[in-house]
Amino acid sequence: MKNNLKLGLAAIAVSTLGLAGCAQTSDAIVIGSQAYYSNEIVAEAYAQALEEAGYEVERNFSLGQRDVYVPAILEGEVDLFPEYTGNLLQYFNPDASETEASAVYDALTNALPEGLSALAMSPATDQDSYNVTQEFAAANNLSSITDLANLGSVTLGGAPELAERPYGPTGLLSVYGVSVEFLATGDTTVESLVAGDVDMANVYSADPRINQLGLVTLSDPEGLFLSSNLVPIASSALDQGARDAINAVSLAMSADDLVAMNVRSVEEQLSASQIAGDWLRSEGLIN
Amino acid sequence: MFDIPDFIGWLLNPENWQGRYGVPNLIQEHFILTLSAIALATLIAMPIGIAIGHFNRGTALVVLLGSASRAIPTMGLLFALVMAFGVQLRELAVVIALVAIAFPPLLAGAYAGISAIEKHIPDSATAQGLTSWQLLRIVEIPLAMPAIIGGFRIAWIQVTSTVVLAPLVGLGGLGFGIIQGLALRNFDQVVASALLIVLVTVLGDQLLGFAQKNQAFRLGHLSGGKSK
Repeated sequence: MKNNLKLGLAAIAVSTLGLAGCAQTSDAIVIGSQAYYSNEIVAEAYAQALEEAGYEVERNFSLGQRDVYVPAILEGEVDLFPEYTGNLLQYFNPDASETEASAVYDALTNALPEGLSALAMSPATDQDSYNVTQEFAAANNLSSITDLANLGSVTLGGAPELAERPYGPTGLLSVYGVSVEFLATGDTTVESLVAGDVDMANVYSADPRINQLGLVTLSDPEGLFLSSNLVPIASSALDQGARDAINAVSLAMSADDLVAMNVRSVEEQLSASQIAGDWLRSEGLIN
Repeated sequence: MFDIPDFIGWLLNPENWQGRYGVPNLIQEHFILTLSAIALATLIAMPIGIAIGHFNRGTALVVLLGSASRAIPTMGLLFALVMAFGVQLRELAVVIALVAIAFPPLLAGAYAGISAIEKHIPDSATAQGLTSWQLLRIVEIPLAMPAIIGGFRIAWIQVTSTVVLAPLVGLGGLGFGIIQGLALRNFDQVVASALLIVLVTVLGDQLLGFAQKNQAFRLGHLSGGKSK
């Protein structure tokens, strides 16, 4: 009984603290991020740019996957979130057929629920891409997905869901006439490609391992892949000054910048705040 | 929460029963991974567990391994082993990770079964002229069978529900439908796959439970007493 009472008091104390915490930070801009190191670096860049512009910021990083944090954004618990145009469009509209960058952005703007808006899209992308090893590319003279049509059989590795994605086996066949055998390699996709278990692998284009392992990314002339540019998703709590500060960050970040920051994270094991800060300084966005 | 007809519809759709990642293939892979792990764990755990029970030495080891196994982060072990062995040996790596889960209950079952036998039974068997080996084969192991099968029931439930993680490292099994379904937000597929996993798990457990009762009943008849 005594213990129960203590527990109850503790619970009340904790919930009061929680409420106090909420009240205190209600005017700060809450920035979220995925549990993905690259996404956290971008979120950190937003945070430092906003702090430079004089805003109070609360970092609420590593919120997990889309299924977890999208409801949090819709609830108004998060004000700003780095996202990817194509993947987010697919989340809100699984049947979306747009693939070209600006068409995807427009479709996303329409698909976003009320209260959320997409700020300016960055030229930096982090999207699905098909990659082969240098040896395989050289042996079969490959530079584009089109070249695969000459090969007899190709095994494709990727996450289990790739089997059902529009750019998966069905899209390869209908758009490029390439028939593939699909192997769900899960989180071991890059390793499986290097080990030769699969001929081609779906890797995110900003993955440092593409550079590190010298993988060849096949070009996609027919626009099979959904473009996925970095895009900040903002709630109505963000004023125009904050939006301008974020837009400056987005426009300055190139695809190569993003890859370079990811490489620093993986190779030098630096913190997101240091990587983002160094980049912002090199762009003259903060002092 | 979910429409019942929808996930039944997923199960009834013939498309989901075909191909590399169709239900029959996934069930087969689920069984192969589970059974290989339990078979390998049996080879190691049975001799050790029976010896510990028979000689009544090293009981601390059973307790230690039993508690240590609860602290193993299965997913971490799975990835660590796949990375250590290389992706081309991923089946072996997954089976070994599963052996680590199956081993403690099998060991505990064998040990508990043998050590619970009342002291006067092996004593009288020895007095009848049975050698140590005969004592084990004719008296102790049969008497321990219900507890040994109990160990298999726990191992079965734990392994068959952990195999669900195999698709994360590029293998199949019934977890495929859950992991793919979550990414695609196809919750009918998730529910249907979860249902299949529960069915496989419960079915195996019930079969083993039947065997366990059978053994206990037989023993009850042999000793003329009432079985538990």
